[in-house]
Amino acid sequence: MTTISIEAVNAPPLRRHRRLPDKWAWLLMAVVAGILLVWEAAVSWLHLVPESFLPPPTAVAAAFVELLGRPDFWQAFVFSLQNLAIGLVLAVIVGVIVGLAVGWSPVLRFTVAPFLWLLYSTPKVALAPLFILVLGLGNESKIALVFLLAVFPIILNTMEGAVTVNASLVNAARVYNVNGVALGWKVIFPATLPYSLAGIQRGVALGFTGEVLGEFLGGAGGLGHLLEFAAYQFEMAEAIAMVFVMVIVANLLLALISALRKRLAPWYDDRQVMYGA
Amino acid sequence: MTTTTIERPEPGASAPLISVRNLTVSYNVARTGKTLTAIEGVDLDVREGEFVTVLGPSGCGKTTFMNVIAGLVKPTSGEVLVDGRPVTGPGPDRAVVFQDYALLPWRTVFDNVKFGLEMQSRLKGDGWRDRVQEAVELVGLKGFESSYPRELSGGMQQRVGLARAIVAEPRILLMDEPLGAVDALTREVMRDEIEKLIAATGKTVLFITHSIEEAILLGDRIVVFKSHPGAIKEVIETGLERPRSERSVQSEPRFLELRDHLWEALQHEATAAARVAGS
Repeated sequence: MTTISIEAVNAPPLRRHRRLPDKWAWLLMAVVAGILLVWEAAVSWLHLVPESFLPPPTAVAAAFVELLGRPDFWQAFVFSLQNLAIGLVLAVIVGVIVGLAVGWSPVLRFTVAPFLWLLYSTPKVALAPLFILVLGLGNESKIALVFLLAVFPIILNTMEGAVTVNASLVNAARVYNVNGVALGWKVIFPATLPYSLAGIQRGVALGFTGEVLGEFLGGAGGLGHLLEFAAYQFEMAEAIAMVFVMVIVANLLLALISALRKRLAPWYDDRQVMYGA
Repeated sequence: MTTTTIERPEPGASAPLISVRNLTVSYNVARTGKTLTAIEGVDLDVREGEFVTVLGPSGCGKTTFMNVIAGLVKPTSGEVLVDGRPVTGPGPDRAVVFQDYALLPWRTVFDNVKFGLEMQSRLKGDGWRDRVQEAVELVGLKGFESSYPRELSGGMQQRVGLARAIVAEPRILLMDEPLGAVDALTREVMRDEIEKLIAATGKTVLFITHSIEEAILLGDRIVVFKSHPGAIKEVIETGLERPRSERSVQSEPRFLELRDHLWEALQHEATAAARVAGS
């Protein structure tokens, strides 16, 4: 190689990381505070709704704090999250591998993909009683439900990503005689990753639904079971507090995947779609 | 006007580095069930160290032509020889620079350039780091090693593409409209830079373009393609002195003569292509 050097002419365009402006955060908080206030007023002060049906936010908050101090709550919490984690890990592994294979191989795409879409559109919730019947009231039926609900969005998103991998990226690898597994690992998989993560995000949300549903329909434990129990005893404050716990858990999981997506696929920016870049 | 037709190696002369013999490529179009001939009966010899520009209207099969030489597309009939051996697939003696850069967005500039060595399993030992660094500096990207492609302008991204191609020290550089997606000002600058770089490294280059000026400014020879089906219309020696800093060359009578000639040839092609497309 020689010593001739070329001057760089253009400075790189700086891309600023846009954050939510403070005033929007304040607005959001004001809206939430407003809703809570109306709720409290409607129940406690104006007595528009009987407290036994809809307890006021203060009662729910008290039940929430009480809940956090109960060992049986934490037992249920661990039970649910454990099943969810196992089901999701299985769904991610199977979903990404199957999605890549089906997306990348034209043969599989034509033979397998139609069945995947068919299964995706089947209301799997309807199969829940069957799962409980076959796999019992324990962990297995819950894990199976989480897996079943989570795996399809992961498969289909990954498949979509693998199909749309930029052809010239593939050619860039092919000119170095890279094919098969090496091509998949070095190019197809990383190029598809943002799509897979979007699928995983949807899978997590659906999987959580699957877990709670399983516990509802035939549970020996878990947050869904606890919720059902509270509702039967007409402990509405506790039941609503449980729902809040679930909302918080689900959103924390979604935020985790979002952070993961920013970390693992910083080049992928959905705004780019709008600009056509 | 000196119009050289296909050059046959004279007895005793050194064999050409790239030799294209009666090359035809046709595709089956699944939708219509018809066969589409992309290029037909192409013959071309390229000497070692020669800079050949391939000029033609869109859809004349010039990219297909390059892809066959790169080993990405199999010929339907005819053959391509590189250094006397038939091309059966991609190889380390050839590297490609793509129009849309084809950089891996999840890799830094350094790692994208490294890709050129990595994919040929040439990362053994310690020497590769220096070679990658050398290639990065050669294209003027020193200081941007850990930047990501999305943080760079189009011109800079194509420098990365260029560095990735030359890092593996191929004998032949295949460039598919490398400046086609770069803005006009950067294109002018990079044209000069590419000429300098190639002069310094002595590589054999096949450079595809649809810019007449680019074809003249860079090429030792210009191969003009016609479309429907894609075939060589003529091959012209530019006969311009090197180095060609743009300002001096663009006022030379020879440059103007070539430009007029090519413009006329291409205008005819472009109108013909438009008629076919419109029919």
